[in-house]
Amino acid sequence: MANLSVNLCGVTLKNPVIAASGTFGFGREFHELYDIGTLGGVSTKGLTMEARAGNPTPRIAESRGVILNAVGLQNPGVEHFIACDLEWLRSTGTAVIANVAGKTLDDYRAICEKLDGLVDMVELNISCPNVKSGGMAFGIKPQSVEEVTKVAKSGLKKTPLMVKLSPNVESIATNALAAQNGGADCVSLINTLTGMAIDIERRRPIIANNTGGVSGAGVKPIAVRMTYEVSQAVNIPVVGMGGITRAEDAIEFLMAGATAVQVGTANFTDPFAMPKIIDGLNAWCDRHGVQNVSELTGTLTLNQR
Amino acid sequence: MKDYVATIVENKEIACGICSITFELPEAPAVRCGQFGDISVGGTHLLRRPIAICKVDGNKVTYCYQVKGEGTQELKAMGVGTQLNVLMPLGNGFFVEETERKVALVGGGVGIFPLISVLREYAGKKEISAFIGFRNKGAVCGLEEFEKADTFVGVTDDGSYGEKMNSVQVFAAALEKGYRPDVVLSCGPLPMLRALKQLVEEKGIPCFVSLEERMGCGIGACLVCVCNLTSGAHARVCKDGPVFNCKEVEL
Repeated sequence: MANLSVNLCGVTLKNPVIAASGTFGFGREFHELYDIGTLGGVSTKGLTMEARAGNPTPRIAESRGVILNAVGLQNPGVEHFIACDLEWLRSTGTAVIANVAGKTLDDYRAICEKLDGLVDMVELNISCPNVKSGGMAFGIKPQSVEEVTKVAKSGLKKTPLMVKLSPNVESIATNALAAQNGGADCVSLINTLTGMAIDIERRRPIIANNTGGVSGAGVKPIAVRMTYEVSQAVNIPVVGMGGITRAEDAIEFLMAGATAVQVGTANFTDPFAMPKIIDGLNAWCDRHGVQNVSELTGTLTLNQR
Repeated sequence: MKDYVATIVENKEIACGICSITFELPEAPAVRCGQFGDISVGGTHLLRRPIAICKVDGNKVTYCYQVKGEGTQELKAMGVGTQLNVLMPLGNGFFVEETERKVALVGGGVGIFPLISVLREYAGKKEISAFIGFRNKGAVCGLEEFEKADTFVGVTDDGSYGEKMNSVQVFAAALEKGYRPDVVLSCGPLPMLRALKQLVEEKGIPCFVSLEERMGCGIGACLVCVCNLTSGAHARVCKDGPVFNCKEVEL
């Protein structure tokens, strides 16, 4: 029985497996299937100051090995979350990571102030590709990544800040450094890659929003490469995600430099994906004589060229 | 709701482009008519296929599906003995009140299959009239089930089987002749449901419709398959539906 717990900028997670924002709601539905208290953490559905209705449907499409989604930050608003879901989610025993998005810098500060001290961590969504004002504008240029991170951090006196990075940028490592310079306690990556899928009979995009965020097994090599590049560039912890389906996938991210991982799309393919990944991590560590899963982080050796 | 390892015991084409697949589950599931299952077809397909439950017989569950994209083509090719994960039962399903005696089923296209589950639950207990529309003669299927209704009228879009009309038109014709159900249960293509909504609202007849939408998780977490309610709120088709009171949902 390996020790699966990890320390993510001062927050102890039972294991390094976190439910990725947007695939897991606030955890209630999956809790009907298994005890979500067994997860390392849950990153909530993206929260905004006011409730949002999201995009028209269809909001999802499939392409071989990946999916595309454009839900558009539908959520009941941060106050509703605090009043109706937070206490329950905390009571499960999992680490609560509030994923937040805003239209303006003031929005980011205000929402962080509301959540400060109430959750284990805040994850800053500055990379949602599916809404006009979902923070994507803040997530592209390094200067604005640094600025929005600083502003969000100013609203957080007690709770650590994780900044979620977009892969749809010139250099994700440069943006990670910008987040670090802005005061981020850790970074998470990758958010979805912008894509399109077409219904050739109708000659129209399948998704009502036309474009959607690509995720799932097929994006994993891109995400692993970016996790490696970012972990080389920064000295704060990195949370890796993108296509993790099995324990072996999670281990790739850990070796590439991640302290913890998030699992999203795999929850749709198999609602028990995360408990299986946690069991698989334990079994892999046992088979390989690894006593603490945290020992795996950053153990990758590059080939000599 | 459980994620069953389900073994295919039959998988056959029952009409042009329509297949029926029967799984054997490790136990007899408790299913309400109108509920659905989320079938994992495996391979490169990361999304499951949400399909209405058509029949339950002990631990055997039958789904009927239209062969449309790669996933359903692969499903069609799967042989007896293949094991798939099926998350079920999902959604709310149809419910007929004690006081509702006469039930009208109005269905078209693949929407006819959840109505078969209604027939199987309520036949003999309610007075059921089925108004069923098919695309053409080649798409006609499920007659052995619909003939269990007290009255059954089948029509086609092109008149190759029954009269040339759709299910809402033939239902409207029955209303003109004085038929008055206590409740209408329906499933079918959106234009059909819109026409039905207008008709039942004019006549003041209670009506419940089962909606179809592209889904993500199938259990209400991801907010992919939402619909608009007339109250202005959103509802999740997978968890709050798929069956909605017609007057409460925007179509």
